[in-house]
Amino acid sequence: MILEVKNMKKSFPEAGEVLKNINLSVDKGDVIAVIGPSGGGKTTMLRCLNFLETPDSGTMIFDGAEYDLRNISKSDIYSIRKHTGFVFQNYNLFLNKTAIQNVAEGLVTARKMNKKEARAKAELALTNVGLADRLDYYPNRLSGGQQQRVAIARAMATDPEIIYFDEPTSALDPELTREVLDVIRRLAGEGRTMVVVTHELEFARNIATRIAFMEDGEIVTSSDPETFFSSVNNERIEQFLSNIKIK
Amino acid sequence: MTERVARILIESFPKILLPGLKMTVPLTVLAFSLGLVIAVITALIQYVKIPVIKEISRFYIWVVRGTPLLVQLFVVFYGLPSIGIITQPFPTAVLVFAINEGAYAAETIRAALESIPHGQLEAGLCVGMTRAQTMRRIILPQAFRTAVPTLGNELISMVKDTSLAANITVMEMFMTTQRINSVYYEPLALYMEVGLIYLIFSTVLTKLQRLAEKKLASYGRR
Ligand SMILES: Nc1ncnc2c1ncn2[C@@H]1O[C@H](COP(=O)(O)OP(=O)(O)OP(=O)(O)O)[C@@H](O)[C@H]1O
Ligand SMILES: [Mg+2]
Repeated sequence: MILEVKNMKKSFPEAGEVLKNINLSVDKGDVIAVIGPSGGGKTTMLRCLNFLETPDSGTMIFDGAEYDLRNISKSDIYSIRKHTGFVFQNYNLFLNKTAIQNVAEGLVTARKMNKKEARAKAELALTNVGLADRLDYYPNRLSGGQQQRVAIARAMATDPEIIYFDEPTSALDPELTREVLDVIRRLAGEGRTMVVVTHELEFARNIATRIAFMEDGEIVTSSDPETFFSSVNNERIEQFLSNIKIK
Repeated sequence: MTERVARILIESFPKILLPGLKMTVPLTVLAFSLGLVIAVITALIQYVKIPVIKEISRFYIWVVRGTPLLVQLFVVFYGLPSIGIITQPFPTAVLVFAINEGAYAAETIRAALESIPHGQLEAGLCVGMTRAQTMRRIILPQAFRTAVPTLGNELISMVKDTSLAANITVMEMFMTTQRINSVYYEPLALYMEVGLIYLIFSTVLTKLQRLAEKKLASYGRR
């Protein structure tokens, strides 16, 4: 097991309790698709897992070490982040860096890898997402799909134990969505451990080892895709699924 | 123009230019650099919202931007000695100009910092960098680029404002011109001459500013 979270809670002053009681465990090689209606707390959960938001309480076991989320130290946070990757909905590439520099940055600056080694590693990562011919392009010169693939390469290059994706294709046109989903599908095939928030149900069904349905700050169900889609017996899930299909 | 005036102008030109190169330029360069350091620190304090210190920086900016530079020079140079703090003209000028520029440039840099999409900071954290590393490597360079045109304008203003240092006995170009004028009494010609030299300085800086902007443009922006 790579990650286990127990009773994670998070409130915002304006929004109240956004994560009520999150329990989640992720094994090596798991691909967990998180789906659910808007405002259910999916983004907040991912952000708490990587401490972009500070969880209010709960415990986390990561890589064999247990942390009390109520008073986890800065250095623990940094060291957990060094073993995770995060892919944002809107890419968040470093705009003053080329594609290859974007990927190498975390290796050179955060991990003190020597420049040459980092460049080689970054080049490999970009080649893996089909961007070998765009190494020296600035983000502004890349399409949305290409930017997101750079972002994926950036998250992969540091060999994270687990990668979080927050709706990686929501900002993309349908044609560009495909190229990004293909990359993620390949990573899943390679046995990478991932938690993917997505609205792409077909995609989730194809790549996920487990589907977690999240609503009102809770993971309502968590099961393998077969079970999830065949024996839907939860009214809210049914409603959610039919809403998406209509769209 | 009489022959006398022409001769005075030609003779005085190097006499004015020399203190320009020896005083005005170093004063500008030193004060502007120090001002930038103050500005970056002040802007960062506000950007990362350090409590209390943030309020102090706001106060500093408020006071400095709300009072005339000339008054600030007088307070420090003529005022402080009455409470036992005596300062030399040139260092005083550098300090006051730097403090002044620091306040203006702090606002410029803060605005530039806030214009950089915040997601990049989070992305930096997510690849394992610290907040400080991300600021240094990602956010500040972009903010500087955004700020360059405005900072360039501030630098040009400062070159001209250094003439105020004459009031606290710094022997810069304007003071020198006044001295020469008191000997020959050709105010129109001599003050126009020093004006022309300021104009040359500003023009050179404007050209450099354009060059810098061109060089810094882009990051491949379409
Ligand atoms: N920084 C914040 N401050 C205050 N409220 C927030 C903040 N972030 C999220 N919220 C609130 O928390 C709730 C959950 O938001 P979240 O973005 O996690 O939902 P989501 O499941 O990702 O939705 P979507 O599918 O639309 O992306 C919302 O009501 C939102 O308004
Ligand atoms: Mg979301």
